[in-house]
Amino acid sequence: MANHRVGETGLTDSGPSSHHHHHIPYAVLHGMNVPASFIHQEGSAFDFGELEEAIVLQGVKIRNDEAQAPLFTTGRPAATLEMFPSWPMRFQQIEIGSSKSGGESTDSGSAVNTLSSKTENQLEPESPVSKKASSSDHQAFDQKPMQQQLLEMASDISRTGTSQNQSAAKPPQEKRRGSTSEKQLDAKTLRRLAQNREAARKSRLRKKAYVQQLESSRIKLTQLEQDLQRARSEGLFLGGCAGAVGNISSGAATFDMEYARWLEDDQRHMLELRTGLQAQLSDSDLRTIVDSYISHYDEIFRLKGMAAKSDIFHLITGMWTTPAERCFLWMGGFRPSELIKMLISQLEPLTEQQVIGIYRLQHSSQQAEEALTQGHEQLQQSLIDTIAGGPVFDGMQQMAVALGKLANLEGFVRQADNLRQQTLHQLPRILTTRQAARCFLMIGEYYARLRALSSVWISRPRETLISDDHSCQTTTDLQMVQPSQNHFSNF
Amino acid sequence: MHCQTGSWGSYMPTSRNTVGDPLERIERLASENAVVIFSISSCCMCHAIKRLFCGMGVNPTVYELDEDPRGKDMEKALMRLLGTSPAVPVVFIGGKLVGAMDRVMASHINGTLVPLLKEAGALWL
Repeated sequence: MANHRVGETGLTDSGPSSHHHHHIPYAVLHGMNVPASFIHQEGSAFDFGELEEAIVLQGVKIRNDEAQAPLFTTGRPAATLEMFPSWPMRFQQIEIGSSKSGGESTDSGSAVNTLSSKTENQLEPESPVSKKASSSDHQAFDQKPMQQQLLEMASDISRTGTSQNQSAAKPPQEKRRGSTSEKQLDAKTLRRLAQNREAARKSRLRKKAYVQQLESSRIKLTQLEQDLQRARSEGLFLGGCAGAVGNISSGAATFDMEYARWLEDDQRHMLELRTGLQAQLSDSDLRTIVDSYISHYDEIFRLKGMAAKSDIFHLITGMWTTPAERCFLWMGGFRPSELIKMLISQLEPLTEQQVIGIYRLQHSSQQAEEALTQGHEQLQQSLIDTIAGGPVFDGMQQMAVALGKLANLEGFVRQADNLRQQTLHQLPRILTTRQAARCFLMIGEYYARLRALSSVWISRPRETLISDDHSCQTTTDLQMVQPSQNHFSNF
Repeated sequence: MHCQTGSWGSYMPTSRNTVGDPLERIERLASENAVVIFSISSCCMCHAIKRLFCGMGVNPTVYELDEDPRGKDMEKALMRLLGTSPAVPVVFIGGKLVGAMDRVMASHINGTLVPLLKEAGALWL
């Protein structure tokens, strides 16, 4: 192999190179006849220089390992993997023309030599680069059209360059196509050109992918924030933290706080009942505990009565309860007949008298509930008619009428609470003290479990929810689940 | 006509012309049937109480005060009688005052309503 120095690009930032376009360095790099001065290493184009360097270096390393392997196929993948902007600036020199060894032009040779020596100390692996040329005859390109373009570009640049004598010497060398070394050089530079383009393209694709990832993450973040806000507003903290949500009336907030305190009392009462039952207390002692539990419920009904005056919607929509409780809500609270149904199965053994009493209680409760429900439905229908207005809606007048009708809601919630209270009072009259104690403990535990279920449901991992929704969608990954599809919509 | 002044609570009868006395009229109407409900046709709670009795198989006599020329006076009288507003619905069973919705429901839950109805002849079982 001819022992000539491989074409190297000498990178300087002198002269007019600062305003050159990116493409020019390519051509310059691979044109072979380009003076070093026109190849700049400034920030905007240094990628390509580094790519060039990296490709060449990598290719050389591989070339050294596999002497006959074409650089194009083996070198390029490895070379592009090492393309990072954080690489330090490197200088690279292109051997200008194969004529160095031949010494066709003393001017060019000396100029190149000068150039080489100038940048020699900055070029790290000089020898591998030099060796590259020795086995550069495996190219498969049709280089001739490329060469023509490059020649023209290079000659244009060279005309404006400072190192005129160098450039002047080069074109003649280029036009000689006789030697194999020149063909090898052409192939090499063309290969480098292609590799640079490839690397730049891959870099752009990576950047695009990264930006897309950022976008989808941003959307995911806003979605999670919305879900968190919604979960918080739906009683994540057992309906106690009314202050966590905005737009809540003072009456409602007050009631929520009182209710939270009531829940704490409830736990205390339940503990009292449990220990009382286990300790086998006397009936009179147990009776005291039972009576205090009933008073405890009387208290919440009293509080609800006050809250109904200030914010009826808060009560009737169950915003003070947990979502699971809200699911079974009837007229702003529990349904007495359902409660009794729950108790019946667990209250055995009962005397015949007690069985009759319990079933009668359940039956009466159902009738009362039905009556209130029907009355409430009539209220709703009447309200609808008023708001709809008919052919002429007389604004203020009809609004006033509607307001009057809406005021009746309070009455219904109060009657419903009255029903609940009466039902609870009736239980100890039918049952023995011990049975009543067990009964109230069951009631307390039932609602505590329902509240716990609500909390667990809300705090369960949401990834499954989102991925389930994703699998149902045909949209791209960038689109997220719409808020309306969230299971916890307010009602 | 039985004098039921005792069951009126704090009401003190006056010795004025009783022809147009609304309370007397109420009293008279209440004693004419087993179950008497004073109501207002547009009142939803009155509707609920009617549904309650009908659901139990009782056929109450209903007086809609908004359809009565002296309804307004009677309404005021009832308000004085009950001590609360609204005046309606109010239920009389066997001529005796039972009360408004909350009292009626309470008596139904604690099991006193059905015996009362049976006693008045409104229910047979």
